[in-house]
Amino acid sequence: MTHENHKELLAASALTALDAADARVLSAHLESCSECRSEMSNWEETAALLALDAEPLEPSVRLRERILAGVRAEARAASLASDRVPADVSQSDDNVLAFARPPRKPLVSFGSFGAIAATIVFAALIIGIVLLWQKNRNTQSELARLTAEMNQARAELDHQRTMGELLTSPDGHMAKLSGTNVAPGAHAMLAYDKSGHAMLMAKGMPSAPEGMAYQLWYIKDNKKMPGKVFTPDAAGNGTLEDQIPAVARDAAVFAITLEPKSGVVVPTGSIYLLSSS
Amino acid sequence: MSLGVEPAPADAPDVELLHAVARGDEAALARLYDAYRVILFGLLVRILNSREEAEDILQDVFIQVWRRAKDFDEKRGRPFTWLVTLARSRAIDRLRQLGARQRLATGAAQEQTETVSDALSDTIKVAQRETVRRALAELPEEQKHTLVLAYFEGLTQSEIAAKLNAPLGTIKTRMRSGMIKLRALLGSQLENFS
Repeated sequence: MTHENHKELLAASALTALDAADARVLSAHLESCSECRSEMSNWEETAALLALDAEPLEPSVRLRERILAGVRAEARAASLASDRVPADVSQSDDNVLAFARPPRKPLVSFGSFGAIAATIVFAALIIGIVLLWQKNRNTQSELARLTAEMNQARAELDHQRTMGELLTSPDGHMAKLSGTNVAPGAHAMLAYDKSGHAMLMAKGMPSAPEGMAYQLWYIKDNKKMPGKVFTPDAAGNGTLEDQIPAVARDAAVFAITLEPKSGVVVPTGSIYLLSSS
Repeated sequence: MSLGVEPAPADAPDVELLHAVARGDEAALARLYDAYRVILFGLLVRILNSREEAEDILQDVFIQVWRRAKDFDEKRGRPFTWLVTLARSRAIDRLRQLGARQRLATGAAQEQTETVSDALSDTIKVAQRETVRRALAELPEEQKHTLVLAYFEGLTQSEIAAKLNAPLGTIKTRMRSGMIKLRALLGSQLENFS
């Protein structure tokens, strides 16, 4: 392929519309051709302007705070990681050395000077140890909190990965559940494959009263088949993995009700979420 | 990274804001978000057809901006292009991950969206949007359709050819001609875009 042939691929590449083979060929060429790299940047500038054809829309107000909370957590984690060893050492140096360097006056009585210096050093050591102990406690507490956040994020990622796998599997299905009048802010997605392996992700759920939990139902021809129960977290998010009965995999309606925590075989509580039939 | 860095001044250009973000300035990230959220969110909803998915991706985009702002090189492009390219790339990845099923399933999402209020009109640069729309309107319909399928639906040239039942060579020609004409129509005004 000639240089001119490669140049003809640039505009489509800026739209990420090249087929895989052409994309590989162009990528190899770009590594060695500064002219095409420069022209590629120009095409990318043009392509990006297409974004302005989309209707501008306002995201929810909460999103801004979610993003800033996320970067704050990252910044704290990074700060802790960089602080842990060197800062402890410098902290102890500061505390000790500031007191441990008495001016040297050789003519002063060595005995009394030594006693005073030893007392000061001892006091400085005690202060240093206390400060280190406090810092260590704060660090441990912060680490425990960040670890909990990380575990929660990892679990959510696992759920999303499972949901992605279900959706992209052959004959994967997805149902959207909308909040009813008792939970207008709630919504959920239920993904499942042909084997009946299902994953539910719910958001905006009201907190469940003590001893109660939400239960998933599979409804087919007015027959209600019980699924598992779940309890949402403090933010109203809940996830659930379940096995859909074979009979309910086609054209079923899905619902979520509030039930006793142990689950029931026949629904007794209000419907909080419901899929369209 | 520190949170104690002095925030960037109010009139700092976007390049400076990105440099400030690279130094760990949370306030600069918030300013970038305020400036670009409606453009990027509109783009993401147009691609994903779902506000919920679009919010997840927008959050991911700004977390990436926080992590990768040091990679931004103003010699290679403008902040607008960098942010839009990052957002679109994430959305197209998500779209391909979810498959066409998601687009169909959430087809009603557009009806639920709220356009941005008048108070935000300055931020989203209405005039620039109109310029782009006028330029697109001047393209022959088949060229415009090809660009829209590629940009907003993430389809490759082969996929567009299959969807439109047209020869691949024809689609390649339409796409390149459309982009050349678009660049010519917008070229003189490109410098004015933020």
